Amino acid sequence: MSGIPHYPVNDFGPLMKGLVIGGVGILHVFLAQFAIGGGLLLVYFERQAQKGLVDARTFVDGFFKVLVLVSFVLGALTGVAIWFTTIAVGARTIGLMIDEFHWLWGTEWVWFAIEVCAGYAFYRCSDRLSNQARLRLLALYAAAAWMSLFWINGILSWQLTPGDWVTSHGVWDGFFNAGFWPSLLFRTCVAATLAGLAACIVINTMPFSDDERARRAVLIRHAARLALPMAAMPLLAVWYFAVLPADSRGWLLGGSMPMMMFVAVAAGASVLIGGYVIVGLVFKRLYINGATATLLLVLAFAATGAGEFVREGARKPYTVRDTLYSTSIAPGEVAHLREVGVTVDDPYPLRDAAQYPQAQVQRGALVERALCDACHTMRGANALVELSRTWTVEQARLNIAKLQKTKGFMPPFAGNAGDVEALVQLLEWEIADRPPTWPTSDDPGVLARIATYLAEAPP
Amino acid sequence: MMDQKSLYLVLFVLTWALHAVFVGYVVAGTAFALVRRSSPLAEQVRDRLPFMLGCGITAGVAPLLFIQLLHQRRFYTANLLLGPRWILVVPALVVGFYALYVAKSSKSSPRWRQRALAVGLGAFAFVAYSWSELHELMAADDRWRAFYEAGHRVYTAIEIPLRTAMFLGGAVALFATVTAWSADAAARARLAIGAIGGIAVAALAGGVLASRATHDVAAHGWLYILIAGAIATVAGWAWTWRAPEGAGLTLATAGTTIALVAAAVVREAPRIATIETSDNAVVAGGFVVFAITIVIGIAAIAWILRTIRA
Repeated sequence: MSGIPHYPVNDFGPLMKGLVIGGVGILHVFLAQFAIGGGLLLVYFERQAQKGLVDARTFVDGFFKVLVLVSFVLGALTGVAIWFTTIAVGARTIGLMIDEFHWLWGTEWVWFAIEVCAGYAFYRCSDRLSNQARLRLLALYAAAAWMSLFWINGILSWQLTPGDWVTSHGVWDGFFNAGFWPSLLFRTCVAATLAGLAACIVINTMPFSDDERARRAVLIRHAARLALPMAAMPLLAVWYFAVLPADSRGWLLGGSMPMMMFVAVAAGASVLIGGYVIVGLVFKRLYINGATATLLLVLAFAATGAGEFVREGARKPYTVRDTLYSTSIAPGEVAHLREVGVTVDDPYPLRDAAQYPQAQVQRGALVERALCDACHTMRGANALVELSRTWTVEQARLNIAKLQKTKGFMPPFAGNAGDVEALVQLLEWEIADRPPTWPTSDDPGVLARIATYLAEAPP
Repeated sequence: MMDQKSLYLVLFVLTWALHAVFVGYVVAGTAFALVRRSSPLAEQVRDRLPFMLGCGITAGVAPLLFIQLLHQRRFYTANLLLGPRWILVVPALVVGFYALYVAKSSKSSPRWRQRALAVGLGAFAFVAYSWSELHELMAADDRWRAFYEAGHRVYTAIEIPLRTAMFLGGAVALFATVTAWSADAAARARLAIGAIGGIAVAALAGGVLASRATHDVAAHGWLYILIAGAIATVAGWAWTWRAPEGAGLTLATAGTTIALVAAAVVREAPRIATIETSDNAVVAGGFVVFAITIVIGIAAIAWILRTIRA
């Protein structure tokens, strides 16, 4: 036995697993950052209310209801959902993160609990609290929400830039990694901007009559100030890019066209939002209606989604840099698997073994499940059949055996020559539209050639 | 000095017990508000339910963290075996959460309130059943392979409804304990009857479950503490029923607290032998920061309570 944990693998049909986790993750990040920015916004408006800004108090109470209904409910539950979906997509990765950072995760949980308590206390009791108590309660809520970001940010940025942790395994080496500060500051700016945009929507729903547009405009100008930190985002993005591993940076800046496009979407959307809010709303003192504010918030959601996709994609071929490949196999385990094969210790049989024409193709399906399924589907998103359709059989053997050289963001193939050939035969059978019979490929010369390819691409 | 694994176990048990108080209140409280409709106490409960569910979910994150340290392989495997069917607990909770807000809203008509409470109750009962299912599947490692091969998504065993019934019975008792402190005498007497009924259901389901167990159910004496706590609780509720303004509620609350913690230990005892904490986890740093933050957290929450009561 290799000691590698084996978990049952689920098939999500045409949906790539990354899309499942990405969908839940992006929604959660968006809501969580909205909650954090919302705290900062409320403190600011409460202070303005106490300084005499007309309608600010009404706004605080109205905005807080939105914050509770959207963020407390969906934010908290997508947080639980992201945990479950992460287990479904990469159980070993989340297990490693828990093992290494559980006390810091527990610390984050305590801050989250304070945030929830302060939030609900304000929600239920704000109307009978003194000005001082209101402001203090909101400040505690905002501080706790930001501290929650502080702790989770260190764990997430560790995945891409673990730095000295790889050798020391010291928790603080991992937590205060190279990506920690730029990521934290960047996310703080995003959080404040999201809250400012959401505030513009809420302000437009406040019951002012049409001739009181000026009162709305005053509130909008104050809310827009929350987006001013966006001006620092280009600088923070450059800082973040500078600390990325060189190969990851390379993918994002042209090495991978889809990744570069996502960078462009995130950057472009941010520039548009920043330009409109900072130049238009803050300096030109323009008015914004609810529809436009909603459009900007949707644009911000797109930018958040693209940004999270970039963050996830930049880690390839790892889920934890230099520690765990996207296949949930550690670099140090590849050599062993190349000797014994990747399917030998897998306790779970195929669910649909009878649909395959013979044992070698069945083995290919087991190899595909173990090594490809985390990022690919057979015929849906990122489909193996389409990626390999034009390859010759020999080219497929070469490309798969030398996987990390075929594509730099792919992990090394973690199986033996028999596994490579079984996978190639599975792909050929699928490309041929699954005929009822399929010949077994057992030419010793082929296996010897594949073994040579594997040897030429050591892990 | 307690070793790290024991510390995880203690924290798991305590945080699970705290989580049980909130979610017990939510499940039984939703049923109570549905049945009692327009009584003043039902109105108060309906008003508190979203907050209590928020607390329940927040409090649930901690045992969710610690179970991944104690039983990582089993927890992940059971998650993955149930697959998409398990993840349904999340949309069920989202639906339940918003249903509670609909039920609480002053704009909702009585009919819509009732409908919302019924939907919420269904969602929470489903989540409770699902956790029992996951708990049993985690232990059934000899059935994992066949379960996966057959492509099943629903695990069936007689222990699952029994475990769910035990929880639901306990939930009624927990709800009654939390609610009775702010209830009038007549309501307290009714809550006492409900609590005794809940304890009877939990005891009956627990007894059947214990009779089917293949392990020692005594749990190093904790079972006897649980029984003693339950007896004290029943005595306290009986006293409250006869004299609602008397000290019976204090006795019931003390008994419930003892019984809850003991029940959490008895629940975990059979799994102690299967704890698989990784070597990396045991040596991981950060405990001091966690401990300091816990102190800050307790102080902050105490300050919040003091502020809103002032």
